[in-house]
Amino acid sequence: MGFRALRVLNDDRVAPGRGFGAHGHRDMEIFTYVLEGGLAHDDSTGEHHVLRPNEIQAMSAGTGVIHSEFNASTTDAVHLLQVWILPSKEDVPPAYKQFAYDPSEKHNRLRLLVGPDRNPPEPAAFIHQDARAYASVLDRGKTIEQPITPGRHSWVHCAQGNIVLNGHAMKEGDGAAVSNERALQIAGDGAKGGEFLLIDLA
Amino acid sequence: MTGVNVLVVFYSRYGKTEKEALAAGVGAIQARANIRLRRLADLASLETIQADPAWRENLERMKKDYIAPREVDAHWADLVILAAPAHRLEEMERYLDSAHQDLQGKLAAVFGPIGDQATGAGLTLVTRAEEDAVGYGRRAAAEARARKAI
Repeated sequence: MGFRALRVLNDDRVAPGRGFGAHGHRDMEIFTYVLEGGLAHDDSTGEHHVLRPNEIQAMSAGTGVIHSEFNASTTDAVHLLQVWILPSKEDVPPAYKQFAYDPSEKHNRLRLLVGPDRNPPEPAAFIHQDARAYASVLDRGKTIEQPITPGRHSWVHCAQGNIVLNGHAMKEGDGAAVSNERALQIAGDGAKGGEFLLIDLA
Repeated sequence: MTGVNVLVVFYSRYGKTEKEALAAGVGAIQARANIRLRRLADLASLETIQADPAWRENLERMKKDYIAPREVDAHWADLVILAAPAHRLEEMERYLDSAHQDLQGKLAAVFGPIGDQATGAGLTLVTRAEEDAVGYGRRAAAEARARKAI
């Protein structure tokens, strides 16, 4: 997969106690969004966190990082999205950011999670790329509209439930690449609406 | 750019040598190598390990983070970085004996006094570790890349 600077979008379910052992990354901006459960994370810079829903973790691998990620629970599965974005700049010092937000901040609106702004309009993790990722949980029948700056592109990933994107129905796990559109109209659909990630790309 | 594959094989009980191995791995990544990290299995009995809470706890964690080196790992590698505590070489010696054929002609960088065993196993020594494990891994991977490019 590769769309503009978006390199990978993994939609993973990890069984209790399982995960990804120690492995390395270089020159990649990686952020993780947990839908259900908890993901424990350890890395070579000494960071240890458990990431849960309504939190975001972003990593700049830069010159090099070794880390591991495991389901923090021995009984419940974890469902997560992990997004890899190519950086605009190589050899940056490795960095981690993790923060929590209130679930109301993504309810029927777009909540900025990561972006290249040093002073974002709401707390968001910095990444070394001209790309912004938003999360949203839309009730059935609720619609949000997001204009697209000419020349820019979008990726929409339906994380849970159902949404309709510019007239196209999407269900859990569906992704859509959007180019040459002036705006995105996204509506909650199905019985319970839907949750999605929107990535704005140069 | 020539891709260089670096296999880091270490033996650690309490995490000290693991940290060194990870640092060397980070250095190899800094030199734009692909890395695999592998921990050698313990030769001690389960009873011995169970009787040592610190060892047991570290082992539980490390068993999740690392698998033991496989034949394909040695075949994949251009450079093998070996790390084991100076006073605990049995696991490493056993590995070098058993992987003898797979390691023939590979480049090696070693921590501590395992250079003789490494050359005995058919590995070509690039360098021995200095104190800065990150810089060491970086230099060893860069050296392997230079040799591969020739």
